[in-house]
Amino acid sequence: MGRSKFVYITYIRTTPQKLWDALTKPEFIGQYWWPAGTMLESEWTPGASWTMRFADGRIADVGEILEIDPPRRLVLKWRNEIMPELKAEGFVRGVFELQQDGDCVRLTVTHTMDIDNAKLIEGVSFGWPIVLSSLKSFLETGIPMLGVHLPDAAVRRAT
Amino acid sequence: MSKCVYVTYIRTTPQKLWDALTRPEFQKQYWYGMHQDCDWKKGSSWAMKFTDGRTADAGEILESDPPRRAVIKWRNEFRPELKAEGFSQCTYEIEPDGDICRLTVTHEIGVENSKLLEAVSGGWPRILSSLKTMLEGGEPLPRTHQSPAT
Repeated sequence: MGRSKFVYITYIRTTPQKLWDALTKPEFIGQYWWPAGTMLESEWTPGASWTMRFADGRIADVGEILEIDPPRRLVLKWRNEIMPELKAEGFVRGVFELQQDGDCVRLTVTHTMDIDNAKLIEGVSFGWPIVLSSLKSFLETGIPMLGVHLPDAAVRRAT
Repeated sequence: MSKCVYVTYIRTTPQKLWDALTRPEFQKQYWYGMHQDCDWKKGSSWAMKFTDGRTADAGEILESDPPRRAVIKWRNEFRPELKAEGFSQCTYEIEPDGDICRLTVTHEIGVENSKLLEAVSGGWPRILSSLKTMLEGGEPLPRTHQSPAT
């Protein structure tokens, strides 16, 4: 078990398949991911590489698909590429679990890292609530949340 | 010390979000059918009521700054092992960002491995997901209409 951990749970009125598609297909990712225009690229097969790219083309994060079981479970190896002090921490594990719950899906995103007080875990703990709030709005109302600003605390840490 | 923090972004205004958090007619729609008896003034008593009128949790308003911030002194009243842990503290912070509000709910207690915090940390994601759906124009989520204890 990792010594730094972040867990976020959200309930979305959708189906597991639609949520899975929203998490893995470029035509959906491009509509709700934050910051606007961020893209995830992968063949989504076990062992395949995985890249998150900002709208300006810079690579934000990279990694590998460790497990993939559509539309239920996805496990990624994940490293930040933009900020040297985060990249130096190495790879974090990211787990996505989708569970049907009535006419909703419970989505759990868990990041664990085997170092104390990981800055990468702190970083994703600001980003995921924005991305997953936008995803929920996108799937339920058709309108994502691309204009959100980082909370002051996160901006202070990053500058 | 046990702590749970949940952040969600909701397309609404601070006043509508404050009203949804504090007014019984809205609470009943997304909070397991439960509601809270409170006038949301500093020092006032606060009580969470099941649909049948029993008290689930009780406490006091420690801070109230509508529509931005409220702090609730919060003790469970219906499960003896949770009540024995004493008072927790729950803080709502509402920060507008364009046409969106960031809502941060922080629930904490000065007890290691708190059972109360374990219980609420399972409840908050469901309650706040349903609240977000309701405020963005949808029907509140199923399974937040009915109280888990009734």
